[in-house]
Amino acid sequence: MKPIIRFKKFFRFFSAMPALGWLFGFLTAVIIEYLIGDNIAWMLGLPKIPALFGFLIMLKKPLLIPGASAYIIIVYLLPLTLTARFCSGTINKIAAKLYKLPTPVYTVLYLIFLYIIIDIWAGISDYRIVTIKLTFIAIILTLSLNVINGYMGEFSCSHTGFMALGAYTASTVTLILCANDKLFGEALLPSYLAPFLFPIALIAGGIIAAIGSLLVAIPSFRTRGDYLAIISLAFMFIVKSLIENLEVLGGARGMGSQPHLANLPTVFIWTALSIWIINNFVTSIIGKATNAVRDNETAANAMTVNTRKTKIVTFMFAAFWAGIAGGLFAHVLCYVNPGTFGIKKLAEIFTMVYFGGLNSVVGSIIGAISFNLASEALRPLELFKWIIIPVIMILIMIYKPTGLVAFKEFNIKKILAPKGDK
Amino acid sequence: MEYFLQNFINALQWGSFYALIALGYSMVYSILMLFNFAHGDIFMIGAYIGFCIASLFILLFGGAAPGWLVLILTIIVSMFLTSLLGVLIEKIGYRPLRNAPRASAAITGLMIGIILETSNIAIFGTKRIAFPQLVETVTYNISGVFITNKKIIIVAISLFLMAGLHFFIEKTKWGMAMRAMSYDFLTVPLMGISLNVIAPLTFAIGSALAAAAGILYGLAYPVLDPYMGILLGWKAFVAAILGGRGSILGAALAGFLLGFIEIFTAMIFPSTLRDLIAYSIILIILTVRPHGFFGKAHSSSLRL
Amino acid sequence: MTPLLKVENMTHFFGGLRAVHNYNLNLEKNKIQGLIGPNGAGKTTVFNLITGIFKPSEGSVKLDKEEITGLFPHQIASKGLGRTFQNLLLWRHLTVFDHIQIAHYSQINYGLIGSFFGTKKRRKQEAEIEESARRLMEIFDISDFANMLAVNLPYGAQRRVEMARAMAIKPKVLFLDEPTAGMTPEELIRMIQIIKNVRKEFNVAIFLIEHRLKFVMELCETIQTLVFGEVIAEGTPEQIQNNPQVIEAYLGKEDIT
Repeated sequence: MKPIIRFKKFFRFFSAMPALGWLFGFLTAVIIEYLIGDNIAWMLGLPKIPALFGFLIMLKKPLLIPGASAYIIIVYLLPLTLTARFCSGTINKIAAKLYKLPTPVYTVLYLIFLYIIIDIWAGISDYRIVTIKLTFIAIILTLSLNVINGYMGEFSCSHTGFMALGAYTASTVTLILCANDKLFGEALLPSYLAPFLFPIALIAGGIIAAIGSLLVAIPSFRTRGDYLAIISLAFMFIVKSLIENLEVLGGARGMGSQPHLANLPTVFIWTALSIWIINNFVTSIIGKATNAVRDNETAANAMTVNTRKTKIVTFMFAAFWAGIAGGLFAHVLCYVNPGTFGIKKLAEIFTMVYFGGLNSVVGSIIGAISFNLASEALRPLELFKWIIIPVIMILIMIYKPTGLVAFKEFNIKKILAPKGDK
Repeated sequence: MEYFLQNFINALQWGSFYALIALGYSMVYSILMLFNFAHGDIFMIGAYIGFCIASLFILLFGGAAPGWLVLILTIIVSMFLTSLLGVLIEKIGYRPLRNAPRASAAITGLMIGIILETSNIAIFGTKRIAFPQLVETVTYNISGVFITNKKIIIVAISLFLMAGLHFFIEKTKWGMAMRAMSYDFLTVPLMGISLNVIAPLTFAIGSALAAAAGILYGLAYPVLDPYMGILLGWKAFVAAILGGRGSILGAALAGFLLGFIEIFTAMIFPSTLRDLIAYSIILIILTVRPHGFFGKAHSSSLRL
Repeated sequence: MTPLLKVENMTHFFGGLRAVHNYNLNLEKNKIQGLIGPNGAGKTTVFNLITGIFKPSEGSVKLDKEEITGLFPHQIASKGLGRTFQNLLLWRHLTVFDHIQIAHYSQINYGLIGSFFGTKKRRKQEAEIEESARRLMEIFDISDFANMLAVNLPYGAQRRVEMARAMAIKPKVLFLDEPTAGMTPEELIRMIQIIKNVRKEFNVAIFLIEHRLKFVMELCETIQTLVFGEVIAEGTPEQIQNNPQVIEAYLGKEDIT
């Protein structure tokens, strides 16, 4: 017990740091890395800047563990600690000033700040860019599945199906209109229009996914639980084999050469938007009605909640976001095939939802980020990654079956509030 | 007509795999009210264990023992070994979760499946493996319909196993305990039957049947690949649902039904459409009859 | 005066079993009526038929002269028919405050756009609902539990949460299914007070199922007795108390030899 208390005491000044302070700390860290990261890495005997907080290097070449840890300490922990130790007073004052602005304004300011940090951090290598983009997409997916499985409590397995619908629709639109490719021939529109068209393509994908979700939503009036799980599973397989059989869309070979439209800012904006809208939805009374449907449908009905409408809306809403995520996914990888949207992807999304926590926006964000970073970090272990992750997941299911941060509301005000000087 | 009969026999064979696997899903469901999502991978592991045992026997006996004896020995030994695996899975994965929300049990099942698959890949690699040919193929021509002896063996063994299961459940004391438990797993333990005995027993029987299905599959299609558990397992799961969850007879019949659906759609449509049509039919059936064919209409959901 | 809630010749079959036969009800404004009967008499079935959980095989139900037979339960509820449940159907993972807010569902009209984007209209309406919920919690004396999970409350408080929730839909008629089941005598007395208050404050008609005769006699103006799905007696508490048929149904036939 004693060392833990001492440890807590040593890091107590961290607790006085507001969200802004963390951002400042990370900003200094990423700027240091950007400017002299190469030199530090060279001095510590590392071949290049550790791409993912040194995990990859540590696992691949155990000899470099001291170097990589030293790098992490110098580049990340040191600036963070110093900011927390010496600047938290000033930062708290700035945060308090920002806090007086209207909520949307300071939220946007924080987001811009966050984006700058991520952009600098990701600018170091392409690998980081792809990882962070996929992580953002995973956040959208996790959140949207949480809306069905956590907030509404249906066990839906069709999420990768919705994602596939979105991915293929969005890709088809962009391929027809803005790319020269084998499937659809010349681009119909000049390429400078493509960035403006991309949101429309994504939304089209989302809408197709939402319409597809009716096939699962309507049976859900009459049946719940296991049977709905099967219906949704069947839906997923239907979508998959439908695409496999549509030679127009490339069949089982897949669809490639999507234009590079999903750059980091686009993905970031869509993610922020999805968090905002989904959080709005689940905190509204219409959204809370889904909780009532989950916990007791008869009671919900007797309390004027239109359960059928609630189910349809929730399914379509979640499917819409899954479709958007699918569209982004296709344009990040610039290649999709039906095999991508199989059981394994579904198991990944489930892991993120149930690891992070049901019925919780924060939980989903944490789940998506930690799962993605962990699975990237464990990549050098190759196969054993797929033993370690399931084992962790089983342990979580045994000891905390609803996930790490379940049933917590996401309160942007609370997160960004300045810490009082006690 | 010959063409039809030919496909009928193929469907019987194909359906018997589904039926044997679906039985495992259904039995576990009837006792514990949860689906063992790792069951498809148990089937796959069973096939691989069968492969090892068969290779071992061939190594030991060489050509001395007749093929059918090796086959039966292989089936018995691998059924036993796989049932141990099933018991282990119950003990490690499901027992701690008995009072947990059912969604967590579902997730755990998926995760155990992934672990099994990965460990299998770690041992045997991703490449497909040829299953040893234990029995010479003999083809009989009965007025235009070609029947191989393998098909007969497969259908016969699976029917024999199902009959054995039926006998076990209906006539033995343990079977009676299982039936009682499936009615009420809260009260029956008070009568002196422990769920900690019945649940592993159920897992063991289900896994043993899956192993038999795996070896028979290897006999019919002599290639094993680590993803066969996903392919067949999920469909068998669907069959278990279609039969009505927890209904043993329903699962067996629905397994055969699914086999028939798949083979006969492949007869009329291009074979790539097989999955599409099979799943569409399932979607329609479940939309119209939400509780399967033999299921009871009680609604218990995978709740939080 | 036409009654607020009028049920005419309602009959219902479960398969071949006749659960309710020729049931009639005239519930007038601001009245408290009781429904008593032995176990399995079909009392809760009557409730479920009127509130739309089951569709009656025959007969009609009119609320405020408007036909509500065959509507979905949520439609009937939003027309002004609130109810509680015998076995307390509370929402497991929701707080007391959430319970009462969600019951305002039919009163919101900011639509999906509002719920997605947080429009001004939504903020205004949700503020109103919040206020209304706080007032209700005060009336039912559950303000202290506002942010606790409803299922963790003491039993009497859970009953009050359910009633507050039912009142949040702004009902004209309130159905109470055994509001005192499992209560201690002190809680019982408190419940009588609460029901009287509710009638005074909200001006609703109350229709309740109850087993405890003391409670029924004290509260109700009229009482119906249901046996095997049929009303065998109807009248004031005194009339019912002295009705031989009722006594027979409850105590069995007197064996005179």
